[in-house]
Amino acid sequence: MRLSIARAYLVAPHRAKSIRPICSSSSPNPQIPLFLRPPNYSVTLTDVHKWHNWAKTLNSSVGSSFVHTDNGPDSTLLHRELKWLIQDAVDDKSLSSELENEIEQYPELGLRNVRLKVGIDELYRLWKQRIHDRRPFQYIVGCEHWRDLILSVEEGVLIPRPETEVLVDLVEKVVSDNEALREGLWVDLGTGSGAIAIGICRILEGRGRVIATDLSTIALAVAGYNVQRYGLQDLIELRQGSWYEPLQDVQGKLSGIISNPPYIPSDNIFGLQAEVGKHEPRVALDGGTNGMDELIHLCDEAAVMLKPGGFFAFETNGEDQCKHLVNYMENNHKGKFCNLKIVSDFASIPRFITGFLNGAI
Amino acid sequence: MSIFTFRKQVCNRIFTLFRNVLISKHRFVPELQYSSATAQNFSLWNHGIADFNKISGLPFTTLRLFSTQIALEPSTSDGLTVEGILGNRWTILDESESDWRSHAAAIAQSIHLIKKRLQWKKLMMRLELLSVELNKADLWDDPAHAGKISREHGSIMSKIKEINAFERELLEHIDMIKLAREENDTELESESLNALLTMRRNSREKELEALLSGENDSCSCYIEVQAGAGGTESMDWAAMVMQMYIMWAQRRGFKVTVMEEMPGEIAGIKRATIKLDGEYAFGYAKSEVGVHRLVRISPFDSNKRRHTSFAAVAVIPITGDGSTHIQINETDLRIERFRSGGAGGQSVNTTDSAVRIVHIPTGITATCQNERSQHQNKAAAMAVLQSRLNQLEMTRQAQMNAQHTQSLSDITWGNQIRSYVLHPYQMVKDLRTNYEVSDPDSVLEGDLDSFILNYLSASLDKDGDQL
Repeated sequence: MRLSIARAYLVAPHRAKSIRPICSSSSPNPQIPLFLRPPNYSVTLTDVHKWHNWAKTLNSSVGSSFVHTDNGPDSTLLHRELKWLIQDAVDDKSLSSELENEIEQYPELGLRNVRLKVGIDELYRLWKQRIHDRRPFQYIVGCEHWRDLILSVEEGVLIPRPETEVLVDLVEKVVSDNEALREGLWVDLGTGSGAIAIGICRILEGRGRVIATDLSTIALAVAGYNVQRYGLQDLIELRQGSWYEPLQDVQGKLSGIISNPPYIPSDNIFGLQAEVGKHEPRVALDGGTNGMDELIHLCDEAAVMLKPGGFFAFETNGEDQCKHLVNYMENNHKGKFCNLKIVSDFASIPRFITGFLNGAI
Repeated sequence: MSIFTFRKQVCNRIFTLFRNVLISKHRFVPELQYSSATAQNFSLWNHGIADFNKISGLPFTTLRLFSTQIALEPSTSDGLTVEGILGNRWTILDESESDWRSHAAAIAQSIHLIKKRLQWKKLMMRLELLSVELNKADLWDDPAHAGKISREHGSIMSKIKEINAFERELLEHIDMIKLAREENDTELESESLNALLTMRRNSREKELEALLSGENDSCSCYIEVQAGAGGTESMDWAAMVMQMYIMWAQRRGFKVTVMEEMPGEIAGIKRATIKLDGEYAFGYAKSEVGVHRLVRISPFDSNKRRHTSFAAVAVIPITGDGSTHIQINETDLRIERFRSGGAGGQSVNTTDSAVRIVHIPTGITATCQNERSQHQNKAAAMAVLQSRLNQLEMTRQAQMNAQHTQSLSDITWGNQIRSYVLHPYQMVKDLRTNYEVSDPDSVLEGDLDSFILNYLSASLDKDGDQL
């Protein structure tokens, strides 16, 4: 049902152009985020108000039970998400504040029709999914606000995390210190929604190029959609394949390698927060026994793929992985890398490892 | 004294002092330097001989002098001036009475009030100083400063011109009436009389406009509310105060954004910041700075006792042109995210991306949780932090310049500005103006304009009859 509604909107302009040869006929059509759909539904304010009250009661019933079960959202957060859902679903931006007022006192106001981007039944269904199934909010509205971007996301694609925004800041710092790197070729491995690739590409200010790879057909379709939406199709190339596999032609030529690979240890997958464990693609989360299968591979190959002076930054599960990887690179790739650093996220958890391949650019 | 308290003081002092600062910087200049020749001398003297040579060596065009000439005091053909009308003390009758003297006296009174509110004499001196600045040869070496100076010059000039035009219009109509009487032209007389009536009505609006002529009055602003001591009851009060401002702002047509909110454990808020976007948001909201007191039977007290609680309000202007723009050093910042526990990263999917920024040298912090991405929250928090630091700097400058001019305003953090009594009787009373109403509900629903206008006019109209 959800998909068919989404597909009904899949008309020009975004979909008219083919994204990349690689995700043509066989690839699925990505969903249009809720906020971009046309306001084709008309509902009375009273009905929206009823739904809103119902949803708020549902939120309140959650209390902090999700927090206790698996560190999930509490009522306060769910209330805020509900406010954002309304923002995305309505055409008239003033409606959000109107809903807070007591319209019972003025029944004639309630007869007014408001334009919505989904039907009222769908709104009930969506919020039931949010609370009962713990479907991630970002899949409900079909988008994630990330940095200054609004990225389309859907089931099958990892929802970009706030922590990952810092990866782009790191690139920004590096290219402002070294303009030569700005003009080079950058890669985002396992791009998912295309978040990092788009973020970096905008930092490069049109002077460098980016190749984004992913194994997943859905991810590539969604990334392609997002790349198009930001008009970067001439600067970002999407390639299907595992990690460096589709990049053999650019070996030793890369200015930068950025990746947020799966890094959660397999044993931890079972205990994850429901939004993550039950809904997000396992292939984007599971990093093998100690969570570092992919990270080790990325580090090993970086020595071959980067050009001298090239930069890399990888996201990890935290302090243990960061330390292990730095040790690993110092021992197994002695003298190849320099400036190996561990960078913390805003919650002060050591989150990223960064470094440069030795040699002049 | 907490940082918040300090900021609050900053906030209070700035209004009273900022104008003085501008003047006091040049206190050594003899008062009343109105001729541009004197002003030019001052400029050269101030810059030393070296500058004189530099100025002389420059192309002629850069020596273009900005005119600040204000026309001589306008008068009617028989020498009646606005001051003269005031001096005549003609009786002011109701608007419906067709008496030109009454209208003229009412308008002249309005003009006098407007001039007082605009701080006419200080305005003239400021204009002189700005003209001196504008005539400096090296002005455009610093385009940002030059832009600021010429904008302010333009805005003062237009205010002065407007009032002068208003004065001239009044006197012209009086001339016409006198002429019409000599010529026995009743049509012309009644036309002119009507024109005076229209002017009289318009002057009320101009009086109100003149209330908001302060340095940053036209800016958007942040409003911060913090609960006083007293636990849940005062946190609930803080939330009521915040709600009052949100409703007031919406009524006034300002765009309201909740920047941060620290909820209380049981009810209410410990503290919250909202942003008001719109013309003159700061000009109005600044009247609300201070401590607000509530007396009621607490719904949180099972013994139904009467409680008194306090909430503190701070208002910070968002100065767009960067008049006092502190350069923030990236290395002085610590950026924190509220951590929900656990591994973070891929393991957690939360839409909560609130960010707190700490400015390490001053300890000032700013938080934003309203935006949907961490990046945007960080940018919004940075904007709040920037405003707070700018304000701190403005206060520092104001204090430095004001030491020998005027004692600090008596408004301090500890002082209450308004009392809201819900029990045993119902009343809201402003302790600064003694203005009061007996309907607390409507005030708490945002009906604040009368309090604000009363305060603004009281604070601008107090100092005797001097312009």
